[in-house]
Amino acid sequence: MNNLDTLPKKKILSLFMTCGFPTLSQSKKIFNEMLSHQPDVIEFGLPFSDPMADGPIIQEANKLALSSNLSTQQSLNLIKELSKSKNNTSFVIMCYLNTVRKFGVDKFIKNIKNIVDGIIIVDLPFEEESEIKKSLSKNNIHLIKLISPMTDKKRAQKLLKDSKGFIYYISATGITGSNKLDYKEINKNVKSLKKMSKIPVLVGFGIKSKKDVLEISKKTNADGVIIGSALIQKYFDLKMDINKYLIALKKLIKEVKV
Amino acid sequence: MKTYKQPSTVGRFGEFGGMYVSETLMPLLLNLDKSYKKIQKDKKFKKELNDLFKNYVGRPSSLHFAKNLSKYINGPKVYFKRDELNHTGAHKINNCLGQILLAKKMGKTRIIAETGAGQHGVATATVCALFGLPCYIYMGSKDIERQKPNVFRMKLLGATIIPVESGSKSLKDAMNEALRDWIKNVRDTFYIIGSTAGPHPYPKMVRDFQSVIGKEAREQILKVEKKLPDYLIACVGGGSNAMGLFYPFLNDKKVKIIGVEAAGRGAKTEETAATMTSGTPGILHGSYSYVLQDNDGQIKEAHSISAGLDYPGVGPEHSHLKDIKRVKYFGVTDKEALEAFQTCSKLEGIIPALEPSHALAYLIKAFKNKHKNKLVILNMCGRGDKDLFTAAKAIGFDADE
Repeated sequence: MNNLDTLPKKKILSLFMTCGFPTLSQSKKIFNEMLSHQPDVIEFGLPFSDPMADGPIIQEANKLALSSNLSTQQSLNLIKELSKSKNNTSFVIMCYLNTVRKFGVDKFIKNIKNIVDGIIIVDLPFEEESEIKKSLSKNNIHLIKLISPMTDKKRAQKLLKDSKGFIYYISATGITGSNKLDYKEINKNVKSLKKMSKIPVLVGFGIKSKKDVLEISKKTNADGVIIGSALIQKYFDLKMDINKYLIALKKLIKEVKV
Repeated sequence: MKTYKQPSTVGRFGEFGGMYVSETLMPLLLNLDKSYKKIQKDKKFKKELNDLFKNYVGRPSSLHFAKNLSKYINGPKVYFKRDELNHTGAHKINNCLGQILLAKKMGKTRIIAETGAGQHGVATATVCALFGLPCYIYMGSKDIERQKPNVFRMKLLGATIIPVESGSKSLKDAMNEALRDWIKNVRDTFYIIGSTAGPHPYPKMVRDFQSVIGKEAREQILKVEKKLPDYLIACVGGGSNAMGLFYPFLNDKKVKIIGVEAAGRGAKTEETAATMTSGTPGILHGSYSYVLQDNDGQIKEAHSISAGLDYPGVGPEHSHLKDIKRVKYFGVTDKEALEAFQTCSKLEGIIPALEPSHALAYLIKAFKNKHKNKLVILNMCGRGDKDLFTAAKAIGFDADE
């Protein structure tokens, strides 16, 4: 049984949060708050020292988490503990390849089997994935594919052949110096992706507010959204006050759960 | 040994290398690879590059017999391949010219680069000025502080310098930020990577552009000595000057090759940049190679007095050459490098950069009273002007007096 196989058809909500951020014990509280809203997907970011595909906010979150010497094993234990109350929420890990390799691919999979439904390895492109993908699929863990505006149709077809879970469409790329979402482009690309694959297309990167979520749902054909940086940003906005943050987080999740 | 023919078409040097980047960059790298393959066969491109090498850079750089140093070592006959005489003062310009010509051919209109010591930044800013393209240089704030002359040079050349405050505020972090910039500005931007690191095709491309060093050195030594050298020595940070010298000699089995890494305060301490002496295989900046990392794969901060060697990774081809034992790698400390820096200045009248001072230190240490009648070529890959303040401070010389 993989929760990602029974995602709803529309308005899917995926929430991203860095494990161990800002500290391990506070991280537990944050994830419990997120879980209490039963979002469709929770993405657990494993902190990495050099998260080159992430923006400054997530990088800062990684740095904070690592500053108390958080280990990969502690992150995986946290996810395991939280999975007791996961219900229908899909658990997805988002990480960099070096974390998995250094931990040991087999050992890593053994640790997340029957707990995690999917994994996004940000810096593992299609060209390098075959071995890990095989091991993952043997253990019923879906390797989630990232598609960017730079991915052309031919390449997208290759990438999405027998892909499972959902498609992570990176929305805010190639827009120099701005975080404005280009709904027209998103819609065009999402439509084309939906022709290639039956699994849901989620739009991520640059989605910050209820307004963005509504616009995506109104103006594009996407099946859902991924919110990450915006959730973490609030913590810094509130001068790292964890109690205030938990309240603000609750409010923000309620708002984006449309 | 079989004929050396690396990398494979997928950018592998043995098991090292590859392309470990997000899907935002993947299509770009594949496109870059394709464009690079195309221009390799383009005679016009080659002619243009050779013309720039000759008239703009001042190539070929000379092969100087370091008579006094040889006498001092009382061992082999030492030649310097003098890439420090190049326009901009280091080998970096060779690669930048190659890449900017490629960027032009690909229709890119904005150039970004990372820099540590500032030599690659200066070289990039220089070629951008020459070709009239806007230039953005990512540089760690720690490096901005210790490489002030180069910061001013880049500004004079019209480049915008973007200080990087994250992590160790040096080369590794500058590269992270440059990659982020590229992800954001994929359509119009060309990223000129300065070392044989990063994802394929960069390690191959940079090596190819730098191999002019080794090709010239090979011809030059055959002309003056009528034989090949017994040893090649070069410093290795990311590894571009070393690959440039080594590559054309890899099939000459009798030529022994030595790469010298920066061991900072000691290869066994936490303050080191000796990736191949102290590191383990891992993934950094899109490539699988030796890196300094902890048990969880978190990349450690490197340390070296030389900003150009202060990098916790190393090119994948060096990783491969280490594993097949074609090249031997050794570490040299800050202190040893500083001593060699002074020795070379006094004996040869050449103030070397702190980077090749590491290679010099190894040569002096390991060849003293040994290997008589042997021939050594050492890559003098940069001049020391940029390091005067750092060196003065470390030696205890008050430059204001």
